[in-house]
Amino acid sequence: MENKYFKSLEDLRIDTSRDLEEQSAGDKSFILKMQRESAALPPTSRRDFLKAFGFTIASAAVASSCEQPVRKAIPFLIQPEGIIPGKASWYASTFYDGTDYCSVLVKVRDGRPIKIEGNNLSSITKGGTNARTQASVLNLYDNARLKNPSKNGSEISWETADAEIGGKLKEISARQGKMVLLTPTIISPSTAAVITDFVTAFPSCDHIQYDVLSAAGMLRANQDSFGAPFIPSYHFEKADLIVSFDADFLGSWLSPVEYTKQYSQKRKLTDGQRSMSRHIHFEGAMSLTGSNADHRVQMRAGHQKFVLVNLLSALKKLNGESSPEVQGTNHDVQELAAELFRNKGKSLVVSGSNNKDEQLLVNEINMLLGNYGHTIDTDVRLRSRFGFDSRLTTLVEEMNSGAVKALIMMDVNPLYDYPQAAAFGAGLKKVELSVALSVVSDETSAAVSYICPDHHYLEAWNDFEYKTGFYSLSQPAIRPIFNTRAAQESLLRWSGNPQEYRTYLNSYWEQNIYSKAPGFTSFTSFWNSKLHDGVFESGEKSAVAVAYTPVAAMEAIARIAATKPEDSIDLVLYANVSVGTGKHANNPWLQELPDPVTKVCWDNYLMISPRLAEEMNVVDEQLVNVNGKLTLPVVVQPGQEYKTVAVALGYGRQQTGVPANGVGQNAYTLMTFDGDNRSYLLSGVSLALEAGNYPLARTQSHHSMEGRELIRETSLEAYLEDPQSGNEARVELKKHMKTMYPEAKFDGLHWGMAIDLNACTGCNACVVACSSENNVPVVGKEQVIASREMHWIRIDRYYKGDEHNPEVVRQPVMCQHCDNAPCENVCPVAATTHSNEGINQMAYNRCIGTRYCANNCPYKVRRFNFLDYTGADTFKGNEYDPAEMTTDLRRLVLNPDVTVRAKGVIEKCSFCVQRIQEKKLVAKTENRELRDGEVVPACAQSCAAEAIVFGNLNDKNSKVSQYFASERNYHLLEEIHTLPSVGYLTKVKNKTV
Amino acid sequence: MMIFNLPSSRRMKRVLTLFLFVGLAAFVRPVGAQTPEAEKNFQQCRACHNIDGPKLIGPSLAGITERREQDWLIRFIRNSQEVIQSGDPIAVKVYEENNKIPMPPHNLTDEQIIDILLYIKSGGKVDPKFAAAEPTADEASAKEALAAKMAAEQEAREEELAAIERDANRSFGTTFIITIIILIVVLIDLFITKVIKAKFVHTVLILVGLFIIGEIFYKEAAGLGRQQYYQPDQPIWFSHKVHAGQNQIDCKYCHTAADYSKSAGIPSVNVCMNCHNVVKQGKITGTEQIAKIQSAWDSGQPIEWVRIHNLPDHVYFNHAQHVNSGKLDCAECHGSVETMHEVMQVNDLSMGWCLDCHRKTEVQFTDNKFFAAYEEMHARFKSGEVKKVTADMLGGGDCMKCHY
Repeated sequence: MENKYFKSLEDLRIDTSRDLEEQSAGDKSFILKMQRESAALPPTSRRDFLKAFGFTIASAAVASSCEQPVRKAIPFLIQPEGIIPGKASWYASTFYDGTDYCSVLVKVRDGRPIKIEGNNLSSITKGGTNARTQASVLNLYDNARLKNPSKNGSEISWETADAEIGGKLKEISARQGKMVLLTPTIISPSTAAVITDFVTAFPSCDHIQYDVLSAAGMLRANQDSFGAPFIPSYHFEKADLIVSFDADFLGSWLSPVEYTKQYSQKRKLTDGQRSMSRHIHFEGAMSLTGSNADHRVQMRAGHQKFVLVNLLSALKKLNGESSPEVQGTNHDVQELAAELFRNKGKSLVVSGSNNKDEQLLVNEINMLLGNYGHTIDTDVRLRSRFGFDSRLTTLVEEMNSGAVKALIMMDVNPLYDYPQAAAFGAGLKKVELSVALSVVSDETSAAVSYICPDHHYLEAWNDFEYKTGFYSLSQPAIRPIFNTRAAQESLLRWSGNPQEYRTYLNSYWEQNIYSKAPGFTSFTSFWNSKLHDGVFESGEKSAVAVAYTPVAAMEAIARIAATKPEDSIDLVLYANVSVGTGKHANNPWLQELPDPVTKVCWDNYLMISPRLAEEMNVVDEQLVNVNGKLTLPVVVQPGQEYKTVAVALGYGRQQTGVPANGVGQNAYTLMTFDGDNRSYLLSGVSLALEAGNYPLARTQSHHSMEGRELIRETSLEAYLEDPQSGNEARVELKKHMKTMYPEAKFDGLHWGMAIDLNACTGCNACVVACSSENNVPVVGKEQVIASREMHWIRIDRYYKGDEHNPEVVRQPVMCQHCDNAPCENVCPVAATTHSNEGINQMAYNRCIGTRYCANNCPYKVRRFNFLDYTGADTFKGNEYDPAEMTTDLRRLVLNPDVTVRAKGVIEKCSFCVQRIQEKKLVAKTENRELRDGEVVPACAQSCAAEAIVFGNLNDKNSKVSQYFASERNYHLLEEIHTLPSVGYLTKVKNKTV
Repeated sequence: MMIFNLPSSRRMKRVLTLFLFVGLAAFVRPVGAQTPEAEKNFQQCRACHNIDGPKLIGPSLAGITERREQDWLIRFIRNSQEVIQSGDPIAVKVYEENNKIPMPPHNLTDEQIIDILLYIKSGGKVDPKFAAAEPTADEASAKEALAAKMAAEQEAREEELAAIERDANRSFGTTFIITIIILIVVLIDLFITKVIKAKFVHTVLILVGLFIIGEIFYKEAAGLGRQQYYQPDQPIWFSHKVHAGQNQIDCKYCHTAADYSKSAGIPSVNVCMNCHNVVKQGKITGTEQIAKIQSAWDSGQPIEWVRIHNLPDHVYFNHAQHVNSGKLDCAECHGSVETMHEVMQVNDLSMGWCLDCHRKTEVQFTDNKFFAAYEEMHARFKSGEVKKVTADMLGGGDCMKCHY
């Protein structure tokens, strides 16, 4: 058992003689149904065959004799300067949705934004992105977008809306009626100024910030510890020892793109780096970050505060002080305390809790370890997540009492994501004037009287200050598609300012920000330069200095020590890497993105531990009721703490677009309020078995590689001794590499890709980036259940060791571009061949769909278009479109350089050949050789961890060649001599063996 | 050659006289002459310049000979872009003052340009001593005959192209029918009449017949969806012959994107308006067609041209690639567009046609540093093992060079 890798629990207990029917646990029923249906059909007779044959010939004749359609070429009336038809333009912009932040570049082809990439100039995200940022371009073409201003569901003009809303606001203001402007945390300095203007114009207006993923606990803790509410900057790249208490900092905690960049930078062993950080993770539910840890400790979610008290006590003891301890948790923290103590000033302790007391303890621990000033920076602060949860609770009470006369909601959806949505809805009915400034139709916009649709961020001007002194801009990459208007402009208009928001923003920068930039001769040159870069970093520090007082932490210890750990079932509510808070749930790319831990897509579910499952006698996909409120299917998750269960937020949308409506259950309804803050943790949860199964779409066991040496790993200690460690098999295999065929040789260019398993965190950004770049279709839940998902790149996840507390390893797998490719030999029509640059080519127009290649591919990376998912077929009847991806609006996102595949052809990773060709042409035009690192495939570009390196293997100085020459490099299934062009670097964990 | 084809000797005499006269004018050039030839050549200038009057696209030319040196003028008229790019301050200034609209190059001799300059200096008058050279009625008719001849030739050429197509179809059709008849006769003989006793004759004939029919089917099927000789009517009767042929406007003056982008680009209306702001009357179509540009401009509706060269969606073709690094001339794929009034697709744009060219066309193997990476090929090239390096030899025949 010790060295066995497994992909799921079924995999572990697999019985080779199993009968599909007997084992059927929901997910196979679809296949069985199809089999039964086809078995029920009468056998084809000779006459039927002749009929079909005749029809085919006749229809082919009719179709081919038709005249070619007349195609039009319509040029511009006046061609704008700098826009060349058929050539992409790039604009710097910023993605911020109230939760995630990313500085981005937008690729625009013929007026349509088609791809988002990271902006290298930002020193926060440094060119990294995450799945939601990558997918945000598809939100622009959301069928559910609000298209016009409306009043009680009927369309009105902007003039009418302005007159009516403006008039009503004035009237309410005149009689001192209370107004509330509800927004997510505003990090835009100009928008903040607009809001200030608005509040000045309507003094009875209150501005409330509401964060779906709240950090109010930390804000309050810092208020008590430091005298000011703030979120500091964390520096994972400076920490030798990272201890995280349920903080999913690579997935959803505060600023995941930034932290992923820092984290992987410290953990790479390439370019001569010989050390890496050590990451210890305490958690109950299995999270993305926890599964990446060197050492993962299972901790009952509700016991965090007790573990923290004990850790603090152990540390104090080492420091010669004393502090109370709590009995009843079975975690020995002495060793951890000693290790932390050794790493004073070079460690970092973080907690994902939204409880003030726990954050106070974390502050005290970090202070004791001297981490402030080293790994934690209080001068440069995170400016997002500045909402205090209690303010919303008060608001709901006031609304219900009838005190609130006007409510303007900008970019928030409390009727979906506020735990007491029903109370909010009831209160909303008592508000005289309710206005939603939203982009997409949602539960809230459906309940208000006025909708004033906002631009999507790719259509809008805006500015941001995500961290103190780190400014960025966003600019329109397309003219507004619908009759929308910037929310800021609406506020300006109502407060009597006829300015456009763009002008307002411009003058705000001229007056307030320009002075922070030395070395510019005029504001215009400053503005143009910063607009081009997308970012401006002034280097300023927070104006308010802070000083630490330990009193609050001592009080917190006393409060916690007065309670006892309970032995109840704890529920964790988490945001996953795909739909996150649910704001972008209507994005089919995100819905189809398999969760990095469970590999389930298109649903949320209840993760429970194998032990608890055994006790309750439940298996995967069986329905369980949580607290009498929510009925969810079960996923038995190895590594889950015995009595911790978890549910993802962000599902169960009801009133948005087709892809999201009715997918999963709304877990926000389970959330509670602890008096100060919303709690993402529930103790004492009751679970009740319900009748029935609910099939889940899982990409889990579709690609099992059956216990071969696919992931090779070692420990840091062993690696430092022998770089080959963990990869001994390669030395042995190299000796046996013999062939009767001539060696594959490529003159000039030979493309190769190297993937550093040590850097990859499994965040899935590459999967969305690939879908976006290569027009990969969305197939929907049913098709995923039938193993027909189309992703060109997938992230395999393997468990190792004890099923109750396994280690997790991940591996991105795409077409390996074998130089001795098994797929190429079996194609009867030579639709897949090898290019002279080492690329395994796929000619869609030649493919006849025998699927021999997919059968013969040992890596199972070839995907077949069983149905017409994209609307590319001539005959509309073939279309299969569960996620509304074939509407004209959605199709605007397609990359015109990549063929949209029709039904009946195989497709797979092409190494982004369109990018290779583009860069080759640039080099030829400029009369120079290709530079290393010039060609970057979509997956590598999106990767915040820089785990993917691409380049020319013939160039011995290229980065990819150096990776390939490393002792850590190996290939998937190299024993079968497929000679892949994709290499993997062994995973090195910093653990004691 | 055309002259000798003229039927009447009387006419011939006149034409010869005319040529003699022009010849004399060329050889015995009196200084300060403003020949009728200059007037003719000035027609090219007139599209954009007034001699005396308001500024058109280019500046008014009154007093130009005093303002600029003759040598500069000759260089600028012959190829203005060259002078501008050489950084000549006056040229750059003129270029910028006139909204950066380049003056097209003119294929004129120094003498011809000097003549034109004199013609301009005189305010647009032909020297009276050449008055005799003003076209007489006879000469005018000779000119007309010439124009008619040229038009007839063009027509003949078009006819010829159409005939090729018709012939190709007819020969297929004829062969097909003959083959079918022979097959029927052979079958009748085989089973009923039995005139020929040796059965292998039937067998051979049937096999050959089936082969021919099969080949015809294959060729016809392969041609489906191709549009060789496609020459649709356009919303505006725009003549490439007039613009690219007679006015010598460079292809890339209008199709600017060909240098940078995958698509060559159809010029936007503002490009048309660069000239047609002023040129309101066409030689052939009068005002009717040009008025359509103006109405598009006024109404703000772009012109919906009919695409002639269509490729299937699964083909990636890049103009910049072929123009810049392939160094192809537009005509190699598009034919002599400058001789066509309405553009016709002259090549079938089939994959075979593409590959044929990739196999024949040499890349700039030693001139372009990009190819330095191909070390092995360089060695073979140096050793003389390969005489020329074609696109195909460097992977220009691979599927994923065009299909992705």
